[in-house]
Amino acid sequence: MGIVKKLDWAIEKFASSILVASILAILFCSSLSIILRWFQINLSWIDPFVRHLVLLGTFVGGVIATGRGNHIGIDLISKFLEVKGYEHAKTIVNRVILLSSGLVLIWLIKAGTDFTRVEMEFSKVEFWGIKSGFLVLMIPIWPWTISLRFLTLFILSFEKKEGAV
Amino acid sequence: MNGWVVTVAICLLASIGVPLFIIMGLAALAAFTFSGVEVSAVAQEMYRISSAPTLMTIPLFTFAGYLMAESHSPKRLMKLAETGLGWIPGGISIVTLIVCAFFTAFTGASGVTIIALGGVIYPILLKEGYSEKYTLGAITASGSLGLLFPPSLPIILYGLIAKVDIDKLFKAGIVPGFVIILILSIWSIYNGPKKEVKHKFVLKNFLSALKESWLEAILPVAVLIGIYGGFVTVTEAAAFTALYIFIIEVFIYKDLDIVKDIPRVSIETMSLVSGILLVLCCALAFTNYMVDEDVPMKIFALMKTYLTSKYSFLFFLNIFLLIVGSVMDIFSAIIVVVPLILPVAHDFGVNPLHLAIIFLTNLEIGYLHPPIGINLFIASNRFKKPITDLYSASIPFVVLLVIALLLITYVPSMSLFWFN
Repeated sequence: MGIVKKLDWAIEKFASSILVASILAILFCSSLSIILRWFQINLSWIDPFVRHLVLLGTFVGGVIATGRGNHIGIDLISKFLEVKGYEHAKTIVNRVILLSSGLVLIWLIKAGTDFTRVEMEFSKVEFWGIKSGFLVLMIPIWPWTISLRFLTLFILSFEKKEGAV
Repeated sequence: MNGWVVTVAICLLASIGVPLFIIMGLAALAAFTFSGVEVSAVAQEMYRISSAPTLMTIPLFTFAGYLMAESHSPKRLMKLAETGLGWIPGGISIVTLIVCAFFTAFTGASGVTIIALGGVIYPILLKEGYSEKYTLGAITASGSLGLLFPPSLPIILYGLIAKVDIDKLFKAGIVPGFVIILILSIWSIYNGPKKEVKHKFVLKNFLSALKESWLEAILPVAVLIGIYGGFVTVTEAAAFTALYIFIIEVFIYKDLDIVKDIPRVSIETMSLVSGILLVLCCALAFTNYMVDEDVPMKIFALMKTYLTSKYSFLFFLNIFLLIVGSVMDIFSAIIVVVPLILPVAHDFGVNPLHLAIIFLTNLEIGYLHPPIGINLFIASNRFKKPITDLYSASIPFVVLLVIALLLITYVPSMSLFWFN
């Protein structure tokens, strides 16, 4: 379990650093773009760059939210089990959530990989000479990280009494 | 047959609490597979979100809201409102409503308002002689009060999904937002303590509070003038608001430390934004599939057999949305439900701006609607009170908000006040 915990910790730290850098870069670049426009300077790369940063932040934030268990969900049954104090049932439900989420994401990674393959063939330059084929790589990569985190938490749930989500 | 099995499995997974973005992703993947379309189309739809021009307003306004919530801004603004409006009968309670509305407009997520302001407001209202039941109800209700005011995150998200001009949506929410505050203010005056503590308006105190907080207090006005004066676009306003709040809270008021606090606030901001946008990414694919399959038109055809007029449709819509609002959070509801009801409402002749305000008001009520309105749980956790206490405290406010909803629904000129 030790190595699994270390892996989870490393993912959390890595994702947190990217997240902080993303939001500050979004803030800096979007403000810079407006200020430069006052001086009739238009940096055309800023807009697509910032929008891709938001998309990156979305996926990386998903990694953090997975660890903290604060994804948006309709947890009617979980809430009911919590209120009624059925701890064992809640643990089983948590494991089902973690495992099914991890597995669905693997299907999504397959979709992302197929899309990346197509996009690599027919992509256009988005900014700084980077083609969209490389940018869409974040769709298979980050869901892969989120999936890894779900599965890691699933394994760790057999050690702890309560799992996340 | 297979389709039904998968649908039941997805509903079951949703009900046990599998994250909504997983549910939406799974629904999209299954739907595309069954209809023989490559699943890469799901990823393509997810990537499409990065081309939305107003996308960056969501993290920027949320960041600004979180920075304010984490600073001493709630205390400063509360003091300003107290010294300015505290002399009115029921004034302190009205102050609560206004300050909460201000915060929710910036944070979007009502939980933040209850957590950030609840601790400040709760002892003040009790000290003024308000009952604990009223106090809990007022704080819980005011946690979602600013959702109709600019630059509310749900409004931006609604505009993004429904492809309605966000500037116009901001305008459309102003009058209904004030009507809700007015109704709750009348209730707070009526429900005021028998022996209310008398406050005098002291100009010196008011000016002192204004001096302390004017940099934050001018913000909503500046955003409105900026956007409607044609000086900035919504995206530019978002960038400026975030930068402005960052500078004043970190370098002028020095409430937040750039090394200790900013990384934490950034992570909290992006966690919330990610929660919303992940659902949006995955739901885009699924809702587009449903639109391609003419699902809204089929719903419309079915409704037409039972509902004959626009008003009966609106009545049905309100009931439906109140149920949706009490089982789903506002962001998921916007992402999932709006694409389905938009074409139906259009065919019934409902103005899209009016529809947006009805939609958001319903979900605002859903936040405190028993048994599982999210504000009830947040307030219960924040004030360490049993959830049943929160149920009874919130019911009068739910009734008042439903009255406001009926006004908003059947008097469209309130939402369309600024438009011909």
